[in-house]
Amino acid sequence: MADLKKVSAKARKSAFRNWIYGNLTCFSQEHMQTFGYLAAMLPVVDELYDNDEDKVKSISTYRTFFNTEPQIGTMVVGLTVGLEEARANGEPLDDDTINGIRAGLMGPLAGLGDSIIVGTFIPILLGIALGLSTGGSVLGPLFYVLVWNLAMYFGMKFAFNQGYELGGSAVEALVGPQSAALRSSIVMVGTMVIGSVAATWINITTALEVPFSADSSLVLQDTLDSIFPKLLNFFFVWLCWWLMTKRKMSPTLVMGLLVVVALVGVLVGFFNPGLSY
Amino acid sequence: MGINIVQAVLLGLFACLASLPGMGGTTIGNYTLGRPLVGGLVVGLIMGDIQTGIIVGASIQLVYIALVTPGGTVSADVRAVTYIGIPLAILAIRAQGLDPSSEAASGLAASLGAAVGTLGTVLFYGTATMNLVWQGIGWKAMDGGNWKTIKKTIPLVDFVLPWISHIAFSFIPTVVICLAGESMVGLMKDYLPMDGVAMKTLFTVGSLLPAVGVAILCKQVIQKPLDWVTFGLGFTLAAVMGCNLIASALIAVFFALINYKVEQLKTARPALAADAAATLDDEEEEDI
Repeated sequence: MADLKKVSAKARKSAFRNWIYGNLTCFSQEHMQTFGYLAAMLPVVDELYDNDEDKVKSISTYRTFFNTEPQIGTMVVGLTVGLEEARANGEPLDDDTINGIRAGLMGPLAGLGDSIIVGTFIPILLGIALGLSTGGSVLGPLFYVLVWNLAMYFGMKFAFNQGYELGGSAVEALVGPQSAALRSSIVMVGTMVIGSVAATWINITTALEVPFSADSSLVLQDTLDSIFPKLLNFFFVWLCWWLMTKRKMSPTLVMGLLVVVALVGVLVGFFNPGLSY
Repeated sequence: MGINIVQAVLLGLFACLASLPGMGGTTIGNYTLGRPLVGGLVVGLIMGDIQTGIIVGASIQLVYIALVTPGGTVSADVRAVTYIGIPLAILAIRAQGLDPSSEAASGLAASLGAAVGTLGTVLFYGTATMNLVWQGIGWKAMDGGNWKTIKKTIPLVDFVLPWISHIAFSFIPTVVICLAGESMVGLMKDYLPMDGVAMKTLFTVGSLLPAVGVAILCKQVIQKPLDWVTFGLGFTLAAVMGCNLIASALIAVFFALINYKVEQLKTARPALAADAAATLDDEEEEDI
């Protein structure tokens, strides 16, 4: 037990780099992030095992389908680097155990990453960036490029190292029951900010007027505003959400439907952007 | 003023980098260069009009504020939205003599971007399908069981060969469409007057589309009917009380802190929470 094998810092670095760059470069519908994963494990496997036969056997473990939110998924890669190291030192880890852990994590982490990174963090950053780019200022895009890439680089590095060092418990802490309080609070911030986004950035108004007599008419937009400001924004967001979740429509189909709604709305005079060249 | 060949080639190159799945990687490619706001800066630099580029990029960004692609289902293609949509929108806005920061211009940009983006999903499926060929080469090497071959082939499959897919499905379409762009935009102006049904519909669609983007976000975070109250509070803060997004976020964090403490107490006192949790779980299961 004197000389336990250890993955060198160099191999870990190149595994990390291969993953954060190559997680989706060779994407197909059949094997989404599998080749990114293989590319990431390659330097680690190459270093841990002495003969070619063991190397081939070890890399073959990672042939199975893998797909998650790739940025938070960096943690899983770090974790398997740690597991592979343990296996090379004779721990009884078979392919099924490793793949069971991978498969068990990729779903919850995809949900977590999609809702927190893509669904909350990016929109908030973009929201601030859009505010900064009023009138075409370069400040907005620059802000996003800097903050997003720095946050992701250090975040992924942290996730990778956490996964590597702490093994299974680290990832479970993030998806396990103890994390429920943190997760629901983060999602709560996201939900409220999205509500504000819906009121700020969408601008749906109606041009419909119902004439009562020669000189008086009902301006529908004014009536709606007196019920609740920007009510149409709320209604259309809710409608799209309802179509996608309850009617299981794809976003593309919903967009198509909105084109029909717009056309009919224009024809009956409900919508009129009132523009000219 | 149109797009010359050098500009078109540069746009094509960025399309290769920024796609999902792109050669710039996920973080730098898709989530940085592929965001319309950042793309607006890049396209603006290439076309020599940074200000218009960013304004147009910002309008299109609103539609795709949260382009989540769960399990690889893609509703809009970022390379098309950003590196075909933005250049065409800039040309169209110039051709029609609109003020770039006017609502008309941003509506035009949003619907043009969305139209191109939806059509662009063809490019996404094309790239992903062609990558199957390269993955096939990878599987063959792995089946062979020769470590030296495997060691050489996997990086080749993951980092190099997909460039061929991108030349076919990102580079060439972007270059061709951007070069043809000016005449397409000119034709549009002649045949589609602004007060006709087609253009009115186009602009109306532009104002409706951000609702889809926000709804995709809602799909991520709204799990039970009561979550709409949380959403509604955020909506009210902005619509009625005039809070901007940073102010709303601060208020949201405050409520989330309270929520965090309550949830923590629940786990700290399992006996008390047991009843409540049982009923809560039932509700959640039904909704999911």
